[in-house]
Amino acid sequence: MNASLAGMFVLGTGYLLVLFLCAMAVDRGWVPVRIIRHPAVYTLALGVYASAWAIYGSLELASTSGYGYLAYYLGVAGAFLLAPVLLVPIQRMTRTYQLASLSDLFAFRFRSRWVGTLITVISLLAVLPLLALQVQTLGDAIFLMTGAASPALLALAFCMMIALFAMLFGARESRLHDRHDSLLAVIALSSLVKLGAMLALAGIALFGVFNGPADLQGWLDGPGQAYQAGVLQPDPAHWRTLLLLFFAAALLMPHIFHITFAETLSRHTLLQASWALPLFLLLMAIPVPLILWAGQRLGSDQLIGAAYLAFGLSNSPWVQALAFIAGLAAASATMMLIALALSGMILNHVLLVAHPPDARQNLYRWLLWLRRALIAAVILGGWLFYRIVGVHHDLTTLALAAFVGMAQCLPGLLALLYWPGANRKGMVSGLVVGILIWLAGLWVPLLTGLPPLVVIPPGLEILIGEPDWYIVTLVSMAANILVLIVVSLASHTSEGERAAAEACSVDAVIRPQRLPLAAATGEDFKQHLGRALGEDVASREVERALDDLGLSPLDSRPYALRRLRDRLQANLSGLMGPSVAQDIVDRYLPYQQGGGGATEDIHFVESRLEAYRSRLTGLARELDGLRRYHRRTLTRLPVGLCAFGEDGELLMWNDALTALTGIPGESVIGSRRDSLPPPWGELLGRILAEPRSHLYKQPVDLDGAQRYLTLHKAELEASNDELGGKVILIEDHSEMKWLEDELVHAARLASIGQLAAGVAHEIGNPITGISSLAQNLRYDTDDPQLLETADQIQQLTDRVSRIVSSLVGFAHGGRHVTGQAFTPVAMAQVTDDALHLIHLARSGEDVSYANRCDPSLMVEGDAQRLLQVMVNLLSNARDASEPGDQVVIATAAQDNGLLVTVTDEGQGIDERVRDHLFEPFTTTKPPGEGTGLGLPLVYSIVAEHGGRIEIDSPPADQPRGTRISLWLPLNRQQEGERPDEPDPDR
Amino acid sequence: MYVYRIMLFLVLGGYLLSPLLMSGWATPGVAWYRPFLIWGVLIALTLWLEQKRKLDER
Repeated sequence: MNASLAGMFVLGTGYLLVLFLCAMAVDRGWVPVRIIRHPAVYTLALGVYASAWAIYGSLELASTSGYGYLAYYLGVAGAFLLAPVLLVPIQRMTRTYQLASLSDLFAFRFRSRWVGTLITVISLLAVLPLLALQVQTLGDAIFLMTGAASPALLALAFCMMIALFAMLFGARESRLHDRHDSLLAVIALSSLVKLGAMLALAGIALFGVFNGPADLQGWLDGPGQAYQAGVLQPDPAHWRTLLLLFFAAALLMPHIFHITFAETLSRHTLLQASWALPLFLLLMAIPVPLILWAGQRLGSDQLIGAAYLAFGLSNSPWVQALAFIAGLAAASATMMLIALALSGMILNHVLLVAHPPDARQNLYRWLLWLRRALIAAVILGGWLFYRIVGVHHDLTTLALAAFVGMAQCLPGLLALLYWPGANRKGMVSGLVVGILIWLAGLWVPLLTGLPPLVVIPPGLEILIGEPDWYIVTLVSMAANILVLIVVSLASHTSEGERAAAEACSVDAVIRPQRLPLAAATGEDFKQHLGRALGEDVASREVERALDDLGLSPLDSRPYALRRLRDRLQANLSGLMGPSVAQDIVDRYLPYQQGGGGATEDIHFVESRLEAYRSRLTGLARELDGLRRYHRRTLTRLPVGLCAFGEDGELLMWNDALTALTGIPGESVIGSRRDSLPPPWGELLGRILAEPRSHLYKQPVDLDGAQRYLTLHKAELEASNDELGGKVILIEDHSEMKWLEDELVHAARLASIGQLAAGVAHEIGNPITGISSLAQNLRYDTDDPQLLETADQIQQLTDRVSRIVSSLVGFAHGGRHVTGQAFTPVAMAQVTDDALHLIHLARSGEDVSYANRCDPSLMVEGDAQRLLQVMVNLLSNARDASEPGDQVVIATAAQDNGLLVTVTDEGQGIDERVRDHLFEPFTTTKPPGEGTGLGLPLVYSIVAEHGGRIEIDSPPADQPRGTRISLWLPLNRQQEGERPDEPDPDR
Repeated sequence: MYVYRIMLFLVLGGYLLSPLLMSGWATPGVAWYRPFLIWGVLIALTLWLEQKRKLDER
């Protein structure tokens, strides 16, 4: 009795103040996120399992049962060792359906709000002794240290502070499922404090009371033997039952469930805790026997109860403060979390079920304050239970009453995970039977002090004389399991329950149905939900769900709307529990009545299978491998493919179709055919309505270009086990169509060419005659006027001859044979010839041409082929030019070659087309005017000459127009003579 | 997944054999820390299986 009440108050308040500062530091962002979200923090937070009973109760149990106290630690360690098969499936479910408590989970699986209420009431009844135990340890510790007559009042003060803390940091958002970083950090800090304190106490015991490990072992082998004689090693059956109880506690206790599943943590973190938490518990367990033996050696076990031997290790106030802080850290964290978890359960499964929320504007605030009031009520309830009941019992009795009560939910939980055949009637019947036995055998005697009412069934007389907790556990659990199995097998299971059972079952993949919804858009959702939640809350919830799913509010795909409905239900479940959420969603977002037969949502099933892949084994994994292979084959098929379900909903849209249409599959899968963007909705409707299976070369306008698509259709007949629908293949036959057209065009051009060559030949003869006659006229007269006329006639006939020879040459140019020897060609001359040909055309008469080519610059090449190049480039420039524009052709020596530029002042080339200009059939001209073959021909001729071609549109030195630059290697002779500049003398 | 089965086997085996742990309480000649040593080995084994599972899932 070294401390005063005021001193204790300061010590306790100081510790809680440190927690407060820690929470504030996390909230304000003073602690880096990587530390707050580190898996070690989570593991330490899970250490909340080690409540005040781990500090004091374990000592009490160790003094009577020896290593029997280890059951408390090993039970929960076993549950975490099984994390991959036990905890991870529960975590997946709680996360998918936003289930924040055991009541949520049971209500969701067994499709009844009353199941949630029942689990909540049981949790409350079972947890009260555990809460009272925490308060009792505080009260006892205060009494031990101060000798105060009324330690309960100081304990009440601490309870109020703890409640305030839980209200401030645990219930700031009405949503249960949001992660509370500050709360997690505080719980982790508490675990660190109690671990540090326990290890320090163990150090004091080992090196302060004993002189090290050797001295301890010596004492144990010698004088200590007398002290250990009273220890009654638990019977193996008792031990296994204890292990089972503590194993169940790890899954069922509201505060452990909350920290394990409700705080949104990754699967990886949970798996890491599978070894880290047992390690933490090992470190917590080691000090227990050391403190006990040290206390026994000092003889303090005769003065104070075994539970509080840590206070007797030394007279130093520091050692006692250490023992007190260890207990306070454990008790406060446990109380906070129990209050937080239970308040959520009571709110969702008792208050909201009795009084459903109406369309009030401040729903979030209303829920928040209700939770805060419930937190205070739960902690106050714990204190009252301690005052009325706890003081009359030891810690072990209180703890066992709590753990046996909660263990009644274990058969239901295991059935929920592993037995889809279990139903509500079976689970409730089993649970009620188990709970009644527990109430009569442990809880009521605890409350009233009456002798336990334990009925040993015939045939189990072997249990006579065993401890009450053991008999109650065995009888209640056996009855619970038996009734669950028998009633489940004997009674009918509803459709809803069957679906929920599949959703919860470890091996099942959910197979949702495709049913049409009454609401058609996200806006409709807001409007419908507004009637239940108020416009503001409905709008926020719908937007949140849309945001979670990455959907647009305007998305009207039936698939997207179904996902939105599911998401909203899950989010509302996090807010108000699954029962109320399901009621609201069923009532305000109903499916259409008579909306046609429901079929399975294949796309959703596939996306779930993708997510489950790593969990599949054996045959399922092989089958999934096959499924993926076939899926990939269809997705990567180089032909467009889409599939419709029997109800007209789009189920598949492959990569080739995405490339062709520019519409990603994710944005259209799940929509109706008629909601597809034009022209696809209409086009697919045409083939679906067509009695034939094919539609050939349907013209479609895509990005301003005409394409021709061929569609094929196949019907999938529905049978008992297989879904029906329609598969459509879409092939792009544009190139084939163009090629066909071009072939016809080319044949026509070839005949015109032959005709032109014949006409040219025929014209050639009279022209030669006219030229000769003009020549004769010059010799026959001296009249200057006649001489000038003869000159003009000769010039004009020369011009006609050149044109005719160019025309013949051009007609022959198409029959170029590669490998023919190149000759020096003057591009100035080639350009002149090309201009002559261009002038023959009637169009573009208002466009002027400036041939600024240096006649002295020669390239090595085929003059006829280069003529074709220039004709094509100049005719393109002419077609692009407006009346009055000028086309300039210039040359310059560059990089041992000749740079020929053709620059126009036309409208330029569209950026989208520019990259494809040299591909066949790419044209910017109106349909019927351009073949799309000119520039590919130019490219191929320039490439034959070892040159290159570039396009600038617009050119750097003018605001509009296009410049085509050809680079051709210089004539080698000339190259040797004048590599850079033209020689003016040549 | 096969790792999970090993874990299941380990935990069930541990559950059945665990009463042996208690026999060492203050028995002369038996180190007091023996149960903790066995527990430590179990944790190390779980850690090793966890690493193996992570490699499996990669």
